[in-house]
Amino acid sequence: MLKATAYLFLKHSTHRAIPTRYLTAAAELQQDERLQSFRTQEADPSKHSKDHLAQFYTIPLSDRNVLFQHGGLPKTFQQHIKTFNETCLMVREPAVDIINCLKSIDYDKPAVRFVLYGKNGTGKSISLAHVLHYAFKNKFLIVHVPWVGDFMRHCKDSSNSETREGFIDLNINAAAWLLHFRTQNAELLKNPDLKISRDIQWTKRESTAKDSSILELIEHGINRMRFASDCVNILAEEIKLLSNAGICKTLVAIDGFNEFFYPTTKVYTEKKEIVHPNKITLTEGFLNLTKFDWKNAAVIVTVDEMTVKVHEEGTDPSMSHFPRFLLGKHGFEHLDPFLPVNVPLFSKKEHESIMDYFRERRWVRPYPGQDEELYFLSGGNPFTLLDYCKSL
Amino acid sequence: MMRKIGIAFRPHNLLNIQNWLLSSRKILEIRTLSAQASSTTEIGSIDTGAPVENGDSKKNLSKAMKAYLDRAREHDEFMNAQRVEFEIGKRHLANMMGENPETFTQADIDNAIEYLFPSGLYQKHARPIMKPPEEVFPQRKAAEFDETGRPYHFLFYTGRSNFYQVLYDVVEHINEMYKFEDSMTRKNLQPDPMLKLNLSGTEWIAKSALEFRVVETVSDREYNTFVTAMDRLSNMPFAYKVKDFIMEYRVSLMNQSETYDAIKPQIREDGRESVTVYECRRKRAIGNVTVISPGTGKITINGQGISYFEGIQEREQILFPLIFSNMQNKVDIEAEMQNGGPSGQAGAIRYGISWALRSFVDQETMESMRLAGLLTFDIRVRERKKPGQAGARRKFTWKKR
Repeated sequence: MLKATAYLFLKHSTHRAIPTRYLTAAAELQQDERLQSFRTQEADPSKHSKDHLAQFYTIPLSDRNVLFQHGGLPKTFQQHIKTFNETCLMVREPAVDIINCLKSIDYDKPAVRFVLYGKNGTGKSISLAHVLHYAFKNKFLIVHVPWVGDFMRHCKDSSNSETREGFIDLNINAAAWLLHFRTQNAELLKNPDLKISRDIQWTKRESTAKDSSILELIEHGINRMRFASDCVNILAEEIKLLSNAGICKTLVAIDGFNEFFYPTTKVYTEKKEIVHPNKITLTEGFLNLTKFDWKNAAVIVTVDEMTVKVHEEGTDPSMSHFPRFLLGKHGFEHLDPFLPVNVPLFSKKEHESIMDYFRERRWVRPYPGQDEELYFLSGGNPFTLLDYCKSL
Repeated sequence: MMRKIGIAFRPHNLLNIQNWLLSSRKILEIRTLSAQASSTTEIGSIDTGAPVENGDSKKNLSKAMKAYLDRAREHDEFMNAQRVEFEIGKRHLANMMGENPETFTQADIDNAIEYLFPSGLYQKHARPIMKPPEEVFPQRKAAEFDETGRPYHFLFYTGRSNFYQVLYDVVEHINEMYKFEDSMTRKNLQPDPMLKLNLSGTEWIAKSALEFRVVETVSDREYNTFVTAMDRLSNMPFAYKVKDFIMEYRVSLMNQSETYDAIKPQIREDGRESVTVYECRRKRAIGNVTVISPGTGKITINGQGISYFEGIQEREQILFPLIFSNMQNKVDIEAEMQNGGPSGQAGAIRYGISWALRSFVDQETMESMRLAGLLTFDIRVRERKKPGQAGARRKFTWKKR
């Protein structure tokens, strides 16, 4: 709006106040006739290439309901899905790069680890969602943690582990995650080849027999919540065995992975002591899955500044969004070697594309100089841009 | 003698304000002399109570005249005493400072006072001063009539003789102009465009200044009349002939050309032009801002991008001068800021950008930037907390008991 203000000032550059009606007039619609192809009809993420960069594609409702029914998209983005009545993602370079890699890597070699990193609000989770959609379409077994913060900071309950001394179970979260896993892989889990490799004795009376299906194991975890955390760990082992055997191809996607290494959590023992993440049962299973000692798998994790910021008041001058800082020594050594993928700020082209999308969805009213002004103000940060567009 | 004063008041005889001050002092002396002369005679005649030779003059002395003379005498005595005191004080001061009292000037006095009575008071007029009594005590008008009560000035009965004298002069000049114009027309001569009176950068003296000059009160309506008459005179084609008279009543505005002269850009190593504004300030923030042209709109603040500021207000502050001067995406900006908070730093950068952009925009844009207030330094600072109050203005909660 600054341009309109400046224009009005120059037009009425006397000392009189500018009448309000002029300001309203400035905000009036001035239809921008630029009709760029900011959408792509290519709805299959495996066919996305560099040609589709900065274009929007729609995830079909059926896919979204399966993939992201129990989370997986950021909250603000979910609000936009509701507002725009469609799930549209922008095809961006990091996601396309990873998809290309996933297409070309040799799955007989140890699992490749990707680390998505970038400043707050650049779209790491959205990129992850894009890759997940690719994996879903290409029949990967998806092991997806929507947000590790839900375990470490917003856990529903915590109890001492019955099987392992000194460990803490997050049973409700674990059961919710099992449900999420079952929903995402509903089709694949019907495969009769997915069997467990050993007898599992839960208690004296309860047990799961060898060669019963994975689905049974998951059902047990959901129904008997006491065992949900252990169930997740056992499931992780079984998935590794199955992948190694070549029965399934697995994609592990974990959002906010650095939280597994951040010493401060909001999980407390009975004595109100803070629990270190490696004393939480769930951590073990997911760290197991992110090792490189298996094949037929790929691992994508994101590291997020938000973890650190939430815990510490004020920002640390040494604060950085790079994986080495966020993962810490142990986390870095755990993941090393990995492929870092930077999620950059918006380029000008991407910015124009998203503004066109907003205008098409009638989310913002156009005015002269809008794109340039907002690009400067948001500094190319997608999240900030969404914030500034709220009032337009 | 009073006619002389009248002449001295005619501003077209004065070259400038300094001369005016000089002459006003002269007038004061004249006034004093006249008052002294008249009062001594009168005092003599009144105090002795003896029969007076000049019986007529005593009879004609009205009550008003007598009261006036008393007042004038008192004032003059007071002023004389003050003047003597000042002279003695000055000599003392000179001795204290180890200077020659004879050559001790007013500037020396000011320096000595500042040295001997250092004052931390913010307002300059609240600090100790030592000035000649003429400057300290307000001037008073001298008698405008002789002992018989007959006024000296022909405009005496207007009540504002000096003011109307000015208007009278204006009209005289206008009439002269008409005559001159007619004669020139007869000769088929046009006014010289080279000599055309240039009044830009100056304005008519304020009402208070006019009042001080004529030693009379002037109403708003009379001041308007004055301005109208002067405007009319100065708009005449041959007004440059009375330039001196007109310029006496004009004061210069702030010297714009000096203040708003753009900084000359320096050529950088990469061949681009850059302008650096040092010590841009606002509130507690201070820093240097460099504008580089041509550029692509890249901005660097303490090594970061626009994300250095988290709020939209600060970001808009920085963007506004660029959009206003239509230079967005045409220049690069580098800023190094220290101290202060976000709004102060953003304001300082905005000021620095605007100040530097003058080198890259045309005169017209620069003028509109000035009108928009972009080139005006923001002097506002945080107001201090007061003792006995919760804050700068906020009071503690008041409870009856």
